Amino acid sequence: MNDEEMTYQKKELPASVSKIGLGLLILGIILGVIAFFADQTRASFNYLIAYAFMISIGVGSLFLVALEYAAGAVWSVPIRRVVEFFAATIPFLAILVIPLLFNLHDLFHWTHAEAVADDEILQGKAPYLNVQFFIVRAFVLIALWTLFYLFFIRNSKKQDETKDQKLTKRNIRLSVIFIPVFAITISISAMDWLMSAEPHWFSTIFGVYFFSGTVIAALAAATLATVILKENNYLHPKITNDHLFSLGALLFAFINFWAYIAFSQFLLIWYADLPEETFWFLQKWEGSWAVFSIILIVIHFIVPYAMLVSNPAKSDPKRIKFISVWLLFAHLFDLYWLVMPEAPGMESGYTFSWIDFVFPILIVGLTILVFNYKAKKDNLLPIGDPKLKRGLDFHL
Amino acid sequence: MSTVDYSVEVPAVQGRLSLSEIEELVAKPLDSKPDKKFYIALGISTSVLGIGAICLLITFLNGVGMWGNNQPVSWGFPIVNFVFWVGIGHAGTLISAILFLLRQKWRTGIARFAEAMTIFAVMCAGIFPVIHTGRPWLAGYLMPYPNQHSLWVNFTSPLVWDVFAVSVYFTVSLVFWYTGLIPDFATLRDRTTSKIKKTIYSIFSLGWRHSTRHWQHYEKAYVILAGFATPLVLSVHTIVSFDFAVSIMPGWHTTIFPPYFVAGAIFSGFAMVVTVLIFVRKIFDLQNIITIDHLEKMNKVILATGMMVGYAYGMEFFIAWYSGVQFEQFVFINRAFGPYAWAYWIMVSCNVFIPQLFWFKKIRRSVPVMLIIVIFVNVGMWFERFVIVVTSLHRDYLPSSWGMYAPTLYDAGILLGSFGLFFTLVILFTKALPVVSISEVKAVADGAQPSHHGGEKHG
Repeated sequence: MNDEEMTYQKKELPASVSKIGLGLLILGIILGVIAFFADQTRASFNYLIAYAFMISIGVGSLFLVALEYAAGAVWSVPIRRVVEFFAATIPFLAILVIPLLFNLHDLFHWTHAEAVADDEILQGKAPYLNVQFFIVRAFVLIALWTLFYLFFIRNSKKQDETKDQKLTKRNIRLSVIFIPVFAITISISAMDWLMSAEPHWFSTIFGVYFFSGTVIAALAAATLATVILKENNYLHPKITNDHLFSLGALLFAFINFWAYIAFSQFLLIWYADLPEETFWFLQKWEGSWAVFSIILIVIHFIVPYAMLVSNPAKSDPKRIKFISVWLLFAHLFDLYWLVMPEAPGMESGYTFSWIDFVFPILIVGLTILVFNYKAKKDNLLPIGDPKLKRGLDFHL
Repeated sequence: MSTVDYSVEVPAVQGRLSLSEIEELVAKPLDSKPDKKFYIALGISTSVLGIGAICLLITFLNGVGMWGNNQPVSWGFPIVNFVFWVGIGHAGTLISAILFLLRQKWRTGIARFAEAMTIFAVMCAGIFPVIHTGRPWLAGYLMPYPNQHSLWVNFTSPLVWDVFAVSVYFTVSLVFWYTGLIPDFATLRDRTTSKIKKTIYSIFSLGWRHSTRHWQHYEKAYVILAGFATPLVLSVHTIVSFDFAVSIMPGWHTTIFPPYFVAGAIFSGFAMVVTVLIFVRKIFDLQNIITIDHLEKMNKVILATGMMVGYAYGMEFFIAWYSGVQFEQFVFINRAFGPYAWAYWIMVSCNVFIPQLFWFKKIRRSVPVMLIIVIFVNVGMWFERFVIVVTSLHRDYLPSSWGMYAPTLYDAGILLGSFGLFFTLVILFTKALPVVSISEVKAVADGAQPSHHGGEKHG
């Protein structure tokens, strides 16, 4: 390979991208505000789902970046910036979380002092599940993620200019510290935001369950963006379908991992049949929620499994583009399934509301805007990364 | 070497060995007569195996009352040892199948040996549930088949799932291992001068001629087998964890058990592989094929999986408190501060604290230090199963039936015997088959693959 191939010319994303992003964001905010006035409880729960989804995209992406450094992966270097741009949504979590903090009373049963007073189990959990500590945790987690994000990105960007190998080394160090921190923080997020929606229920695998969904969402976002950018010639021509194959194979692996974790959790609770655990699954079998439970298995596992199981499918750009949109929806659906049956008034089954569709618009708009802004500012290719050349030369 | 150059790939084979040198190096132990050291090692391991066999014989003559198993701890050493050995096996499949699918070239030097260890470890594991039934001659009824006694297994019992899982795992591991061996058998056939050996190698090489067509079929078969073996790694130890977790026993019934057991299995398996490979690479002079880089990578895996296990310990403790279930809370307090606290803290120290030393590069690359650490990990993982089995059972719901568990000499003898069996098989393996895959190592050797240096000439 000669040096000419390596020269990278920055191309700006078309102006329509920022217009679409901004349009969706504004539409989402307006509808969201109306939603909060129309039905505060329903809106709060939907907003919680959207917030958890943003954690998946942002923090999950940062985990993928860390994984590349820690594992010494080469193939993913040319598309690492795509993942980094999604991780750029992390600092916005600090703003996004605020509306939730004003609606904790609507969201979480354990915040009701009178309910806790009559409930011995909730009293026992009070040292962990209390509003002050909960808010402190929420912000500590966001602060940790933001700090790690800033450090990673600073080194990565600096390397574009200096081509200094020490920066790679620094990011490897950062990665191996971040991965355990990520494991703990993502589990705490899962327990705080999702599990404590039903404060009596508990499951030790729950953090791993959310983690598996998080990685699927982050991978799906990265795959979708990579394929779209590649189709429109924004990426280096040496990024081939072999690179896509790796993304497809990872998606396939994590679909299976999610199914494995979900099945383990279900089977063990079903088999032991202890009332303190089963009621959570029974709630998700109440009325029309049963349909949701079955749909979840179909869209989160069976369909994507069938679509990705063959090897040519994993590197087919059209196929994986479709399946990544599908999986992003499936993860949102999963979060919806986790939380919504616990919402007041939804106990006996699903009831339709337009509010369910509002916040996804908002977060899609926000993510597009952030991605576009980052793509304007930074190179789409980490041109200073010492592993880039090997990454571009990657072949199966 | 203070700075690493990330722009070049670290060679999987060191010392710039030529392809024929690799072949010579691996095949050397098979061509020469075993030396004195070999017989001494074999003598020791078969003696240890003999101790186990005698203990087992006495058990068969007198019954399982010779063991420490009793109410309330009815699952003593046999189940502890079973889970321990099944766990050891997992590293082999992980290295041979999962790392293959992840295109990790460094696996080639260690895959063959690790796979062999899988097979031997599963053999050791298989003994224990069978003898634990007390009537091992009835083991055939564990297989569901129409019989005149109209006996039918209980399909809802995870113990029956174990039978299926472990036997499928063993079969697939064996086929996978053999498939990898076929090209090597052909190589050995072509180079041996002994007539008997030539006949044996010819039979096992299945007419392999190293033709492109053969390689094409071989590679397809290998990928399929790897894809088949990968879910097995997860499923076997998952089902072993179900033995405990489907119950309603506090300390056993917890949803994190499946992934936690799998992580623990990989953790202990890697520790065992490192323990054995340290000696193998020294004795057979394979330092250039099983390089210090490979050992370092395995130590990183040990560090990572050790922390996953630590995560599970922490999560179990936290949720036991968070659940508000008194029984759960009691079991965990009893584990950490009750009469078996010593076992619990051995487990935590060996599995979580000591592997933290692997954060330091110097320690990861120092053979004597890593040997000590991985032995601690082996001990710790045995104690993990001991803690899970014994501490949960010895104080159950009814305080009047609380008791303590004390293994007898026969328990210890049979455990020792299983190590004897394992090492006997390992030692025989080193002399009977190539301990490293000759064809695979050749494929990752210098010059076997297109590189940047080669590419520049074209540019």
